[in-house]
Amino acid sequence: MTDLSTITLGSSTDPYNDAAARGWSITDASALSSPLELEADVVIVGTGAGGGTAAETLSATGLSVVLLEAGPLKTSSKFDMQERAAYRDLYQEGTGRGTKDGGMVILQGRSVGGSTTVNWTTSFRTPPETLKFWAEHMGVSGCSVEEMEPFFEHMENRLNIHEWPEAPNPNNAMLQRAAEKLGYSWAKIHRNVRGCLNLGYCGLGCPVDAKQSMLTTTIPAALNNKAKLVHHARVVRILREGDAVVGVEAEALTPNVRSTTGQRITIRATKTVLAGGAINTPAILLRSGAPDPHGRIGKRTFLHPTTLTMAIYDEAIDPFYGAPQSIYSDHFQWQGVHTGPINFKLEVPPLQPAFAAGFYSAAGEELTRSMDQLNKTQCMIALLRDGFHEQSQGGTVEIDDRGRPLLDYPLDDYLLEGVKRAWKVMVEMQFVTGAKSVRPAHKQARHYTSWKEAKEAMAALEIVPHKVTVGSAHVMGGCPMGDDEARSVTDCDGKFRHWDNLYVMDGSLFPTSIGANPQLSIYGLVYKLSSNLAAGFRA
Amino acid sequence: MRNDRRSFLKLSAAGAAALSAMSTGATLSGCTSGAPATGMKVLRPEDVELLRALIPAVMKGKITPDDSAAIDQTLESFDTLMDDLSDLVIEGVQQAFDVLSFGPTRALTTGQWASWSKASLEDAESALGRLRDSRIGLLNAIYAAMIRLIVSAWYLIPENAATAGYPGPPKKVADTRPSAGPIGGVAP
Repeated sequence: MTDLSTITLGSSTDPYNDAAARGWSITDASALSSPLELEADVVIVGTGAGGGTAAETLSATGLSVVLLEAGPLKTSSKFDMQERAAYRDLYQEGTGRGTKDGGMVILQGRSVGGSTTVNWTTSFRTPPETLKFWAEHMGVSGCSVEEMEPFFEHMENRLNIHEWPEAPNPNNAMLQRAAEKLGYSWAKIHRNVRGCLNLGYCGLGCPVDAKQSMLTTTIPAALNNKAKLVHHARVVRILREGDAVVGVEAEALTPNVRSTTGQRITIRATKTVLAGGAINTPAILLRSGAPDPHGRIGKRTFLHPTTLTMAIYDEAIDPFYGAPQSIYSDHFQWQGVHTGPINFKLEVPPLQPAFAAGFYSAAGEELTRSMDQLNKTQCMIALLRDGFHEQSQGGTVEIDDRGRPLLDYPLDDYLLEGVKRAWKVMVEMQFVTGAKSVRPAHKQARHYTSWKEAKEAMAALEIVPHKVTVGSAHVMGGCPMGDDEARSVTDCDGKFRHWDNLYVMDGSLFPTSIGANPQLSIYGLVYKLSSNLAAGFRA
Repeated sequence: MRNDRRSFLKLSAAGAAALSAMSTGATLSGCTSGAPATGMKVLRPEDVELLRALIPAVMKGKITPDDSAAIDQTLESFDTLMDDLSDLVIEGVQQAFDVLSFGPTRALTTGQWASWSKASLEDAESALGRLRDSRIGLLNAIYAAMIRLIVSAWYLIPENAATAGYPGPPKKVADTRPSAGPIGGVAP
């Protein structure tokens, strides 16, 4: 592969550079010197996959919209593909977010565009198995494959989602080759890109606006429709008059997003839409003392707990370059939808060096000798499909005494068995494609030089939290939709059950994990829900 | 056998609780000052002393204990990385530092009886091994956090990333516009 460091990119056509000329209303709350009060038909909390989609849909019908974002506004002309700035500016807690006991690292976006600004562009419709399970077991109506079809199709067209036509990079090609050798099913990934240069820096902010994230699509469209965007504004609580929600109160954050400036932001709105993601949305409800007679808010939060194996080959892999995800395998994903041991999806991640080192789960020469060969390293990941089996109840979003969200998600034996089984599958896949050595993400593991050695060594490893490395980039659930009042936080229109004028429109609506990278599931569902809200607005 | 396992689990739980309490004690009793060390944004003097011992062990093969320039550079990168985290995460990392720095918990958890400034490379490697191999989940968690932060801090320095066979990202012409696409038309 070409040494990409030798090429120079022109600045992208960053639409935010012309914000004033376009007449866009964008407020940096960190610079406020007095309280800000706004009124709107709809206030949307969050600018990720849910908030961005809702903002475009609602503003297109002439409704006045205010968008609030806790993170900063960072745009393509500033994206320099350096890890440090990206992790600092674009991720929740500077990529330091984790579960309560530190057992899992959570990668979640936090800037205008939310996780869509940093995701790897992988786009799947909600799998039919998942939609069927929701209908049959989780009390979800209106979301059958047929009913969802037009909404997915609309968003696929809107975001130019299509099967990636280029050759996979060697990191992805190895997954394909291994699947073919072992007779596992595999397929090409669909991506939300337009004019993609195949660089591989989706996770650090697309430098050329090729990724059709919310930052480059729906939010500019909403701004064109006179929506107002306020960033560095963290919502503290929901405002009410009796049982009627009348808006939200937010606090302005300092430029580094670490502390508050003391300025208050009050948005009064006819309808309030929560789209802060599956950790922040339940946390806002909890901070607001929302009624929760059945104790559902923040419960059943899912992560697709994800583990990895690293393999070193003789040949160049250059896993830091090229479209990050272009091949996947669902061979082990639907063996039992909600019965038997946990199932998993196989993909690969991009490996920029600090990211790779951080997830290697090794120290000393075991780490540094391995990292010396990062350019010959291939990485497999298994995303465990949590929330279907009765033993997989997920985690719980809580707030601490200062109102800060925490996700308590213990790695239990049901999940850990899946971690161990996934390692065996992935390690074998790497050896059959010629890996010289393979290492599962276990703190006490080494690089093993044969499949036989690896099998024996892995059987002896203690599979316990913290010794195994598990992370997540997909936070889902916690405010499940459904028709059964006792098991859901919202109805199937996303309307909060116990107050008027309050809606949830993000991945927290999902009653289980998705079983696939969730962005298109959020786009499709929120396009449906926000279209309904717009249609019924003045009815 | 089953009884052994059960009593062991109890011991683990008690050990973890004691460690939490002692860590809190370390903070409350003022053993750690709380104020950043000179020239640092977040790292406290005790944290710096600890990290000076751990960095050459975690980055063995890249940094030797007598390479103070490389250690200083990694410390500075670590401090910047810490400053980019949230208050909640910083508090958690500082509690982990407290467990490893406060004399009684340091000795109990790492076997390091003297202060970190007196630790050899072998001492630091032994301490890391004890945290990694411990049956107490909290200590495994502290180990995981320490190594992730140290290795990230080191590889976040661009010239270090080059040792991984990583040529670096494309260059970018800042703030000129508009010309989507690569200058020179190179497509990989």
